[in-house]
Amino acid sequence: MLPDELKFKLREMIAGAESPREKAIDVMFAIQELQGWMSDEAMVEAAELLGMTPLELEELATFYDYIYRSPVGRYVIKVCDSTVCWLQGHQRVIDYISSRLSIPMGGTSADGLFTLLPVCCIGYCDRAPAMVVNNRVFGNLTPEKIDRVLTQLAEKADFSGSE
Amino acid sequence: MPRLIIDEREIEVPEGTKVIDAAQRLGIVIPRFCYHEALGSVGACRMCAVKFLQGPFKGVQMSCMIDARDGMVVSTTDEEAVLFRKRVIELLMMNHPLDCPVCDEGGQCLLQDETVSGGHGRRRFRGPKRTYRDQYLGPYIKHEMNRCIHCYRCARFYQEFAGYRDLGPLRIGDRMYFGRFSDGSLESPFSGNLVDICPTGVYTDTTARFKLRRWELERSPSLCNQCSLGCNTAANAHHRGVMRVEARFNSEVNGYFLCDAGRFGFSYSNGGTGHRERPLSPRIAGAPASAHAALTAAREALDNIAAKYGPRAIAAAGSHRNSFESQCMLDLICRTRDWRGPVFFWGPEDRRKTLSAVEGLDGEIAVSMREIEKADFVIVVGADPLNEAPMGALALRQAARKNAPVVTIDPRPIFLPCGFEHFPAAPEKIERYLGMLVWKAVEKDAARFGKDAEEFCRYLAAECESCEPPAAMARLSQLLASCSRPAIICGTDVTLQTTPAFAADCVRLLRLAGKQAGLFFLLPGAGSFGSALLSGTDDKTFADLVEDIEAGRVRALVVGESDPFHHYPDRARLESAMSKLELLVAIDYFPSETVRRASFFYPSSTIFETGSTYINQEGRVQFAHPVHCGGVPIRGGEHPPRVYSDLVPGGDHLPAWKALWQIAGTPDKDAGPGGISPEKFIPAALPAFDGLKAGHGYPVDGPRLLTAKAGFQGKWERASADARTGPENPEAFELLMVEWMFGTSEFSAWSDSLDAAAAAPHMSMNSKDAARIGLCDGDTVSVELDGGAFEIVVSVSDRTAEGVLVIPRHHSFEWRKMKDSPARVSAEKIRKI
Amino acid sequence: MPFKYPLVLFQNRKPDRVATLDEYRESGGYEALEKFIGGGISPKEVIRLVTESGLLGRGGAGFPAGMKWAAVPDSSPFPRYLVANSDEMEPGTFKDRMLLHVDPHCVIEGMALAAYSFSGSKAFFFVRPSYESSAAILERELENARKAGFLGNRILGTDFSFDIVVHRSGGRYICGEASALLNAIMGKRPNPVKPPPYPTEKGLWEKPTVVNNVETLANVPHILRNGPEWFKSLSATEHGAGTKIYGISGRVSRPGAVELPIGTRLSEIIDLHCGGMASGSKFKACLPGGASTRFLTPEHYDIPMDFEDLKKIGNRLGTAAIMVFDQNTCLLGATLNLMEFFARESCGWCTPCREGLPYMRDLLWRIENGEGKEEFIPNLRMLCKQVWNSYCALAPGAAEPVISLLDFFEDEVRQHISEKGCPFHAKADH
Ligand SMILES: Cc1cc2nc3c(=O)[nH]c(=O)nc-3n(C[C@H](O)[C@H](O)[C@H](O)COP(=O)(O)O)c2cc1C
Ligand code: SF4
Ligand code: SF4
Ligand code: SF4
Ligand code: FES
Repeated sequence: MLPDELKFKLREMIAGAESPREKAIDVMFAIQELQGWMSDEAMVEAAELLGMTPLELEELATFYDYIYRSPVGRYVIKVCDSTVCWLQGHQRVIDYISSRLSIPMGGTSADGLFTLLPVCCIGYCDRAPAMVVNNRVFGNLTPEKIDRVLTQLAEKADFSGSE
Repeated sequence: MPRLIIDEREIEVPEGTKVIDAAQRLGIVIPRFCYHEALGSVGACRMCAVKFLQGPFKGVQMSCMIDARDGMVVSTTDEEAVLFRKRVIELLMMNHPLDCPVCDEGGQCLLQDETVSGGHGRRRFRGPKRTYRDQYLGPYIKHEMNRCIHCYRCARFYQEFAGYRDLGPLRIGDRMYFGRFSDGSLESPFSGNLVDICPTGVYTDTTARFKLRRWELERSPSLCNQCSLGCNTAANAHHRGVMRVEARFNSEVNGYFLCDAGRFGFSYSNGGTGHRERPLSPRIAGAPASAHAALTAAREALDNIAAKYGPRAIAAAGSHRNSFESQCMLDLICRTRDWRGPVFFWGPEDRRKTLSAVEGLDGEIAVSMREIEKADFVIVVGADPLNEAPMGALALRQAARKNAPVVTIDPRPIFLPCGFEHFPAAPEKIERYLGMLVWKAVEKDAARFGKDAEEFCRYLAAECESCEPPAAMARLSQLLASCSRPAIICGTDVTLQTTPAFAADCVRLLRLAGKQAGLFFLLPGAGSFGSALLSGTDDKTFADLVEDIEAGRVRALVVGESDPFHHYPDRARLESAMSKLELLVAIDYFPSETVRRASFFYPSSTIFETGSTYINQEGRVQFAHPVHCGGVPIRGGEHPPRVYSDLVPGGDHLPAWKALWQIAGTPDKDAGPGGISPEKFIPAALPAFDGLKAGHGYPVDGPRLLTAKAGFQGKWERASADARTGPENPEAFELLMVEWMFGTSEFSAWSDSLDAAAAAPHMSMNSKDAARIGLCDGDTVSVELDGGAFEIVVSVSDRTAEGVLVIPRHHSFEWRKMKDSPARVSAEKIRKI
Repeated sequence: MPFKYPLVLFQNRKPDRVATLDEYRESGGYEALEKFIGGGISPKEVIRLVTESGLLGRGGAGFPAGMKWAAVPDSSPFPRYLVANSDEMEPGTFKDRMLLHVDPHCVIEGMALAAYSFSGSKAFFFVRPSYESSAAILERELENARKAGFLGNRILGTDFSFDIVVHRSGGRYICGEASALLNAIMGKRPNPVKPPPYPTEKGLWEKPTVVNNVETLANVPHILRNGPEWFKSLSATEHGAGTKIYGISGRVSRPGAVELPIGTRLSEIIDLHCGGMASGSKFKACLPGGASTRFLTPEHYDIPMDFEDLKKIGNRLGTAAIMVFDQNTCLLGATLNLMEFFARESCGWCTPCREGLPYMRDLLWRIENGEGKEEFIPNLRMLCKQVWNSYCALAPGAAEPVISLLDFFEDEVRQHISEKGCPFHAKADH
């Protein structure tokens, strides 16, 4: 069940749109911010708020890359695997994170903190190799920098904004 | 009209014709997957590529996306185009499983055809094939996603065309999936069309699965006789059983599609399918007998009755289920033998409504389903299209998709798969609302409508004066005033007797106001139009027969494809009347109560085994060809009979009309059993039939049997005066017995395949009414009628009219406990349990 | 960093922060809005000036901006919408993000003026998820612009009302395609839709809608303030107009975004403005305009980087995202990586793209991994040709690197086949 507070906020957000469906992504993002991913129950409730059927919302949820329909860790680490990052050694970044967190690509760390996923170009090619963690982008990645970021994230419960 | 050249042949086509259709007119079928005439072009599959050599487009382009234009020169056989199409097939086959041998689509698969004709035979792609998890989609449709070629037809049909929202495209790229949010029955009662429309075997017909191959089937053009619309079907039979029913294109009637009741409701016709055994053997006093023995014995018994009491002691009853042949035969027999009847209607209300609908319709105002699709304003009065004539609801949706406003005026909590405005109205209010809506739209022009319409206008004006219209009505009247092709869909089940004529007059008024207004009635059954045509002479209905039996005037009853026990609202009275009969002769294909009680029973053949004519609710005469000869299906390892016989086991049946002719005896000796034919006896009963197909006689398929122009009916004068006499207790609820798409019809009662989709019955009532008597949604109540009580769950909504209780004539419970019909129930007779 | 050319879009660039509203105004910001909207100059005049300036769309297709606005019929219904396309998911491209992080008000003013030209009343700023920081900046600055009276009801007391909302995408490349973008905003599945009707007639909710790239819009205030002649004079070539933000990435010393006269030579961009090639690197090839352009070889190292000149050599300026590869890069590997991207991002609507791109990916993968066969090459060539008949421009774009790989580096591809593996693999340490 979504908390009433959130539902209230979402209803308000939806009321401000040209048509309710327009807010489908925002609604799912807001729910993910709170619960990490879109569970079946969350889908049903979100669809109802949006005046959509669960299937109609699923059509969108499964289309997009940043909507998660299976559980993810608190931080979703998405390492860019497109051309420039590829050129600048994205595989080393993946291998490093993978071994540091002892998870394969697609896995979630035992403590439930991190999920590792690939992502296509995130528009930080000038700082390749780069990754995006939840909303925040980290570029010019080196093992040291990755260490720093992961430690910080593990320590800090909450964060937002960008580098 | 653009002229173009396709493959060196010239053709002129109407403006807006796609090149793919232009080619088809020349008999050139350009391969396609995503394109479908009913769904339009979306350019997704890229299979219809052709080369444009001259004209505004050049090079290889999709023929489904380009309108034919003057000066185009198109080649479908150009090497580059052929190569491209071949590549599309190769791409589609990269992931397609090679499971044709176990796929039910095999043999009628567009993908198979185009793979073979395109010459793709070897898979160059060496990667793995993608696989999906399938979903459970309910009792009718089996899902096999691996076979999908992503043409989007299913989603476009399901969501856009049919208006349901639980099946669609999921995911992205080559991971695309077509399915539901989670496993579960498809919500659309048009889901069977997925089987026809999917170009591969993703959706197959569960009821037919693994039983047959296309080429093993006997196929015939047939009809659906489950409601009054007369949708065209293709029946498929194999080894003396109907295996499946598909939609058959008819541009005026059902287009490309069918409803699920029509598609899956054939299992009653197959003997040997479990507990609902179709009675295939003639019976004398319940014991099996040969056909000859049963028919002779029945004839002799009837002769005895006639000798003893006179021929008027014999009565004949048919029904809305009869083919027109059976109806005409009943008519012929009664006329020539002086039997009572035939009666086709259950009561006077029922009869008058159908008759006034048929009389009120003329060739000018009657519209087909196709024309409903083109209407720009639709008013639905006293009709529940989705339940009473499902494909009508689909036609309505097409109008709504083109922004036609749809208004429903009905006591039931109507649902339609499109946007519409519902005015809950008890039956006696329907005419008033309709009158207001129409009058306010035409009022300003009324002065020039002329004499015929004068009184009607005056009446409407007075009605409008007398009461406040519901909010929103004024706005809708304005929209109605500005439209040009409005249509009224009028039902005949819950309406007053006067409503059909009133609706017809409203249409005429709209026509006087310069609109191409049309009228579309829904009738009780596939044979209703025919019954009405033959019911002119005496005013009798089955209700009168019951009295005649009770009074001893009738001693013998011949029932042809009719089950009074299913329809008659007072079961106890019917039972006692029937037990008074000295002789009950039943001819039918259902194992009905009437059949069970019959002294003589003769099994008649179904629509699938006999050529049958049906006249649909717009007066269209159509013919269903037999698809097989019937008999016990050879299936399931039943051992063949060991006794030698040249008869087909279980094949000892005749069309009802032939059986009727035989039991009635042959007064003129020339006409032996073979000496009578529908070609002669149909026009004898209905001379107009002859004119339909000058010189070609019988069968007739297609034309409409309507008078040229009927004129104002004028019955509206009685509209309020004739309304049901006020109840003694004005607080009492009016009990409205209604049809559901699944669960109420005789077909539904005897087809296990339809049972699967039938929901549990519930009683709908208005929320204010419910609050007044302390009921909540979901409560179970006991409703006490004069003849006893029944229990039912309550469904509360403010979309149900006040003052009515809406109950389906569901076969899962005994509702036939009404001494009067329509019945009224006072609040204290409804107890919460 | 000293540049010898005048900066327009980047004139307020700060090393570590976003320019404020005040800073933007000091540099002449919102003057055009005051003059044209505040001064009630006819919207047609805005269109005329922008058309005359020769401003071509910066989203990739290079469509004249003024002409697009003029395509909204005078008689068409209201409300009319503007969409600023900041999806920017084309690999290599990051210029729109830079713009937002440098001078957001320049984009805001440009949007107001563009909308004014066709009487648009509402704009959607469509932004991808990894640009959440840009979205946040914009939302903050929109509020400031509203407070200053440049947005909202009755702007500067005139009859013109206009506002902007930020629309967050769920993240897919195809959302950047204009018609798919409109579906995305309306909460439908973002499949492209072929015109007619054109969005300028029936776009969002069947109402006229103009879609422009963020950089296109950012140029508008400057054009209106300084005139079309000035704008044309900014170009390094005769036929070009304005400046261009080039985003350079890959094997150069200083990757990043630079604003230069449109038509600046590639050699100058790399050697002068990016500090040359990275140490130890030699220019082998680049993709001059994002992932859906053709490999450009050393032969054209001196080419003026504008629409015309690249077209002449069969290439495209695209998004002017220059991805530079050096002698150690396996271009087959790079192409395979690009194909991974396109195959993953195909929307799945049409067959050649949905199935054809994974097919190409499979062939490229097999060649790269030593399973290549001679016959793959003609097959790939044919596929490249055939995906041109896809529904939208994604798949033809995806074929560009492949076909140019075969055109210019066929030997390298063959070497993979004959050596049964990647010749760069041993030495590659990238
Ligand atoms: C697959 C695909 C992706 C695109 N992505 C973008 C994009 O991210 N940003 C953009 O401005 N234009 C993108 N475009 C181009 C748009 O369709 C459109 O032409 C552009 O936004 C118009 O703006 P302009 O006229 O200002 O250039 C893309 C086109 C295609 C075919
Ligand atoms: S399931 Fe059938 S109809 Fe639907 S997209 Fe796939 S192939 Fe087409
Ligand atoms: S709408 Fe009526 S006639 Fe048509 S298929 Fe359904 S039940 Fe049969
Ligand atoms: S080319 Fe086809 S599948 Fe690919 S993105 Fe465009 S429409 Fe979608
Ligand atoms: S039939 Fe034309 S693209 Fe599918």
